[in-house]
Amino acid sequence: MELWGRMLWALLSGPGRRGSTRGWAFSSWQPQPPLAGLSSAIELVSHWTGVFEKRGIPEARESSEYIVAHVLGAKTFQSLRPALWTQPLTSQQLQCIRELSSRRLQRMPVQYILGEWDFQGLSLRMVPPVFIPRPETEELVEWVLEEVAQRSHAVGSPGSPLILEVGCGSGAISLSLLSQLPQSRVIAVDKREAAISLTHENAQRLRLQDRIWIIHLDMTSGCQLGTLGTNLQVWLIRSRGRPKVWHERSWTHLPWGPMDLIVSNPPYVFHQDMEQLAPEIRSYEDPAALDGGEEGMDIITHILALAPRLLKDSGSIFLEVDPRHPELVSSWLQSRPDLYLNLVAVRRDFCGRPRFLHIRRSGP
Amino acid sequence: MSTVGLFHFPTPLTRICPAPWGLRLWEKLTLLSPGIAVTPVQMAGKKDYPALLSLDENELEEQFVKGHGPGGQATNKTSNCVVLKHIPSGIVVKCHQTRSVDQNRKLARKILQEKVDVFYNGENSPVHKEKREAAKKK
Repeated sequence: MELWGRMLWALLSGPGRRGSTRGWAFSSWQPQPPLAGLSSAIELVSHWTGVFEKRGIPEARESSEYIVAHVLGAKTFQSLRPALWTQPLTSQQLQCIRELSSRRLQRMPVQYILGEWDFQGLSLRMVPPVFIPRPETEELVEWVLEEVAQRSHAVGSPGSPLILEVGCGSGAISLSLLSQLPQSRVIAVDKREAAISLTHENAQRLRLQDRIWIIHLDMTSGCQLGTLGTNLQVWLIRSRGRPKVWHERSWTHLPWGPMDLIVSNPPYVFHQDMEQLAPEIRSYEDPAALDGGEEGMDIITHILALAPRLLKDSGSIFLEVDPRHPELVSSWLQSRPDLYLNLVAVRRDFCGRPRFLHIRRSGP
Repeated sequence: MSTVGLFHFPTPLTRICPAPWGLRLWEKLTLLSPGIAVTPVQMAGKKDYPALLSLDENELEEQFVKGHGPGGQATNKTSNCVVLKHIPSGIVVKCHQTRSVDQNRKLARKILQEKVDVFYNGENSPVHKEKREAAKKK
């Protein structure tokens, strides 16, 4: 009843008013059946924005817009047909919005609430605690696409380029590369089974499963820096629904050749920064997908150390990193001339922060 | 409520969108003389897309929602609205059509390109020609 009262008040007072007083500002208005038939999308957004703001939920308006739009079958409020903005919602829809909003009140990220999110034009399923792709990472993919287009000799032949993604999460990077490079093949690796399943599911939803090999593998375990992993048990999922367990001793025995590219958005948060992360991140996303150790470099250096054995000559590594990393990576590479890796370019994200690295292998 | 911050993004268009956009640089002279009808430049390779004046990234100002925090993995923001301004004409486009910042940026450029073309070419713009043809068919 309280909810209905507030929404009725909002209806009569106009949208955008936060209901601090609950005056019943009607005289001849007859009480209607609660909820259904009274509230439109705009009013719902207004109502829940107010609720979220009162409870200190960040992005109050955006969150309520996404939730309401989602229940009405649209991805964003702006893309909703204008006719739907003022049409009354069914009680089922109202209930659904209420349920989803209650999760937002628990600081669940919107992407997990909706169970899906978009990346580079692809719609991907999202499931906690698998890492949610960040908007910056779309630029990483753009950069890789530009570089591949420039090296036109590598494009067009089947199986080319051959790409390794380390830490695939939901599959965002791998699948967007596959969908925009029709000849490419991807090997996607993650140490979390949940990520493997989700990447698998997203690959099938997007009908890209024939060009991706998804491997459940912890790249950092059993590996000493600079040497190949031994006794690695690799569980290979080749999607056509027939899982195959693959025991492997070393990377060089894998049936696919050396890679053209290694791409990764590895965990790069500095360990001391982990506790300052917003509750949305701290409470719902896998910390192993974020924590990069003391200087956020642990997984980055692992990838770089393994790269020379995995990459073709003059193959490339593309990484997303913390803005403090370009310098740290540069120094680290200089301390490891045995790897024959050079930092060739640093690129900024849409907020102007140095965010992406292009490292190239040259030499024996 | 987050505030909108101004961020000038001076990178060439090729850095943001794959080819063929931005491969032609727009002559500054044509921008300064909006009264002159400019022959539309053919956009190579873009399927079904009419020939429109291409945009020079250096004349665009892009705004994202400020308060993005440290960004990257340390942040989870869903406000993907892009506000794009064409400085010479003053035309502003706001796009929050999709849940992807990347897609919104591309869409914003496409919409802005159409508006800018109409601004300079008026009735001669392929945008208006297409509308007239579509209206005739009905």
